[in-house]
Amino acid sequence: MLQFVIGILGLLIVSAHPHAEPLKLEKVADGVYVHHGVHEDLSEGYHGDICNIGFIIGSKGVAVIDSGGTFKVGQRFREAISKVTGLPVLYVINTHVHPDHIYGNAAFSADNPQFVGHARLADAMERRRDAYQRMHQEWLGDEFAGSEIIKPSLTVENQLTLDLGDRQLTLTAYPAAHTNTDLTVADSKTNTLWTGDLLFVERTPSIDGDIKGWITVTESLGKLTPGLVIPGHGPVVTDSRKALADQKRYLSTLLEDIRNSIKKGEVMESAMDTAAATEKGKWVLFDIVNRRNVNNIYPALEWE
Amino acid sequence: MFQSISTKSYLFLAVLLLPFSSNALAEADPKIWPVIKEAFFSNRPIEEASFIQLTAPKRAESGAQVPFSIALDNSQADAKAIKKIYVIVDANPIQLAATYNLTEALGKFSLSTRIRLETDSFVRAIGETADGKLYMAAIPIRAAGGCGGIIDANEAEVRAAAGKIKMNVESPVKFGAATPTTFIIKHPMRTGLQRDLVSQGFLPPFFINKATFTYNNKPVFDVDFNVGTSEDPYLKFDFVPSEPGTLEVKATDNEGKSFSHHVDVKG
Repeated sequence: MLQFVIGILGLLIVSAHPHAEPLKLEKVADGVYVHHGVHEDLSEGYHGDICNIGFIIGSKGVAVIDSGGTFKVGQRFREAISKVTGLPVLYVINTHVHPDHIYGNAAFSADNPQFVGHARLADAMERRRDAYQRMHQEWLGDEFAGSEIIKPSLTVENQLTLDLGDRQLTLTAYPAAHTNTDLTVADSKTNTLWTGDLLFVERTPSIDGDIKGWITVTESLGKLTPGLVIPGHGPVVTDSRKALADQKRYLSTLLEDIRNSIKKGEVMESAMDTAAATEKGKWVLFDIVNRRNVNNIYPALEWE
Repeated sequence: MFQSISTKSYLFLAVLLLPFSSNALAEADPKIWPVIKEAFFSNRPIEEASFIQLTAPKRAESGAQVPFSIALDNSQADAKAIKKIYVIVDANPIQLAATYNLTEALGKFSLSTRIRLETDSFVRAIGETADGKLYMAAIPIRAAGGCGGIIDANEAEVRAAAGKIKMNVESPVKFGAATPTTFIIKHPMRTGLQRDLVSQGFLPPFFINKATFTYNNKPVFDVDFNVGTSEDPYLKFDFVPSEPGTLEVKATDNEGKSFSHHVDVKG
């Protein structure tokens, strides 16, 4: 009898996996697919699916670019990929350390891929492990089950090229900008650029690295001429100049307003109410993210 | 007359009492305080006081740098004046964030600082009078600690920069009137609970433990910091210079190094 029960349970567990509801995908170019998350804050009410994740298919196999915010979202993503192609997942690339981009990694363990990230990603993951674990447990509870940190097995110091067969992906690592672990992925075949969170469209850019570094990187991305740009958050854009200009304007305004507040000898909390106020209404989640940005970067800017 | 509480400041007990719930969203837990109260102020009555006013965000944007202000309604010249304020964060692993020793040179005490919150917690200011009476105000703050991006820093650079001071006295100064003064000292304020990726253990505590402000060599303000005060400790407070002179600060860290800085006040 007990064996029978275990057998039934085993069937349930086995069958639960392949029937994970596949994530919705958008095909944006030949062999290039994106799933768009929803604009939720990383806080209470977060469900683990807020950023752009996707994949690129070559003749030899697939490269996944960011894996989603939980193991369960990763499973649904894996399910969606298998509806499109039976080719193996060769690489899982993490564009940076943020949890909405990395916690689906474990759903790809069975593919035995190379996990790829910035040279500083492993350390950043380790430093944040405890805090991420605790916050996600609180926000997501059982929805977070199975999620784990999986560090890169292949790292990018400056640049790295991956051959997917009939197309090459060029991965570029950046100095501290959105985070200190940012990576972009350029596809040779379709001239598509994945920026990770180095570019936000619609959603207020959140700063967890170096605002000055990020302004510089935003400018340098503007010198590239991709045919298609997939940002970390928000819709895919064919002309990235406007999106990059919007982001640069927000970041520069914020930096200037904070510098003025410091010069005036204000307390940080008044800048949290007023800095970059001219940008309000132009971005989603502005009130939450902008205040947090001020809180994160103000103390360091006092030492300029 | 002040009772020393320094030996009890490393109290880990309260954290063990925190219920670890997997799904229910935590909120500032009022049940921790009785335990801490007994550890810090055993058998001493504490009266809730409306003359101690606290200001902080209801929900902290960054648990690493939570703006927190204390203002007292009564003057330092008052017979029942608060002479010492303990700032306690109930749910922090190390609850005592700082102790402020006040003098009449501060006028009506008004301070803005930045503290660390590991999780949702009540934050309290407990004021002590010269004759040992205790008064308290408390506010709940929601916070998630540690997520505020730790950029890996070069240890040699961190140590070389530690102790650098910026101090500013708002001008023009009106002698005899409250004058806003800002003090910041560069320091990582390591808690002892941060991971060391090299040893796989924890980085040892490394923090500014004291800052003493004097004006023309007379005491103004004396702060005992603990690691609940944020990285690069920040103080903005009013003081009342009676005549032209020099505001001087001397600070020390827990490794015995000392740092100093001064500002000439001309009016």
